[in-house]
Amino acid sequence: MGMSRDGGWYPLVLSADLEPCTVVGSVVHGRELAVWRDGQGQAHVWDDRCPHRGMRLSLGFVREGALACLYHGWRFGADGRCVHIPAHPDLSPPGTIRAAPLRVAEGHGLVWASVQDAGPLPGDEAAKETWLPVRSLRIEAPWDDVARAIGMPDGHRAGVLDRDVEGRVLAALLPVGAGACMLHVQAAAPAEVERLHDLADWAQDVRARAEERAGQVFLAGSVA
Amino acid sequence: MSELVLHDDELDEDCYRVRLFLSLLGLQARRVAVDVVPGGQQDGPAFRVISPAGMLPVLHIDGQAVCGAEAALLALAHGRPAWLPEGRAEFAQVAHWLQFAGGPLRAAARMRRACLFEGAGDAQSDRRRAAVAALRIVEDHLAHRRLEGGCWVVGEGPTVGDIALFPAAALCRDWGEEHAAYPALRRWVRAVRALPGFVTMPGIPDYG
Ligand code: FES
Repeated sequence: MGMSRDGGWYPLVLSADLEPCTVVGSVVHGRELAVWRDGQGQAHVWDDRCPHRGMRLSLGFVREGALACLYHGWRFGADGRCVHIPAHPDLSPPGTIRAAPLRVAEGHGLVWASVQDAGPLPGDEAAKETWLPVRSLRIEAPWDDVARAIGMPDGHRAGVLDRDVEGRVLAALLPVGAGACMLHVQAAAPAEVERLHDLADWAQDVRARAEERAGQVFLAGSVA
Repeated sequence: MSELVLHDDELDEDCYRVRLFLSLLGLQARRVAVDVVPGGQQDGPAFRVISPAGMLPVLHIDGQAVCGAEAALLALAHGRPAWLPEGRAEFAQVAHWLQFAGGPLRAAARMRRACLFEGAGDAQSDRRRAAVAALRIVEDHLAHRRLEGGCWVVGEGPTVGDIALFPAAALCRDWGEEHAAYPALRRWVRAVRALPGFVTMPGIPDYG
């Protein structure tokens, strides 16, 4: 399909998995990110490093429209500036103390961040449908191997898969590191619950096969 | 109900399951601390009189000493259909997840102990894979539940199944598994955290 050139845009999480006033971690090619949504529903993506002492912001929480670090409670507003330091509640923190925001876009049921210089958000074809979230899952295999296996158009991280006779599927891959990725799966609306279950099973099957090819087999109950 | 007594180790996730459930039920228990690390008291003769296999926690309830987390959860849930459903199908599902929590999911607790107390690292190993695989089983189950609008492990509300599975999911960062890889678990952990009476243990952040 014609999601031409994904550029620097990476699909981090399903929009449905980022609830208002929560923060989650994500990783793009080893770069750690904190992804959070404020009370107005706006998503933000920052490097996962607190400007205070470098602890991980994704372990924190959202308070009063700001992302609070778990360690000493410094809070950072939507623009990344520090707005509150609990040890000095009356101090207005200098504007130089700020988190590092990335460009964010939300579309086709996903939160995207631009990591290199990014052109327009990919997905002209995806824009024609409404997408129902199925699930995201982590796969311990290289993203491009998974992309080939599911028939993603060459070199793309996201695409509408037409091969499925039951209806269209939007798949998006996030390269987490050299040998791991997240696969995000959505179904074109309308879709029955059974179809969503089938697609979730399909994603698990993709995971099992990709990990087998990569020599990574995860078997519960196998160690006493 | 006569006085509840809990033989308890603050750092042990099995003990935490029972403390958490007591708190969610609004019950008080007198706590008797057992020093496992470094004391090794669970293997001493005095504790073995109370718990012959050295299992923690031990809950004294109605004159009975109940050893082990799943047993203690069941004893506390008895007669509370919200937490232990009476219908056969839902009861069976709760039983299934309790067995899982006491079986394959123990790999996660073992990994955590190895990382916290024995200096095990992030290196891939059969032990780590078994723990990841067990967490994934819970993740996959919750991802499917979500597709039908369900937020809990079984049925429409929290049960002892949720309490039995919770610590392994909430504590997996201690052995290097990030919640970023488990979106369904993450969402469910938030739901458990939001229950009235929720309490934390060391390793589970308290957002205050
Ligand atoms: S490291 Fe974040 S507030 Fe101190």
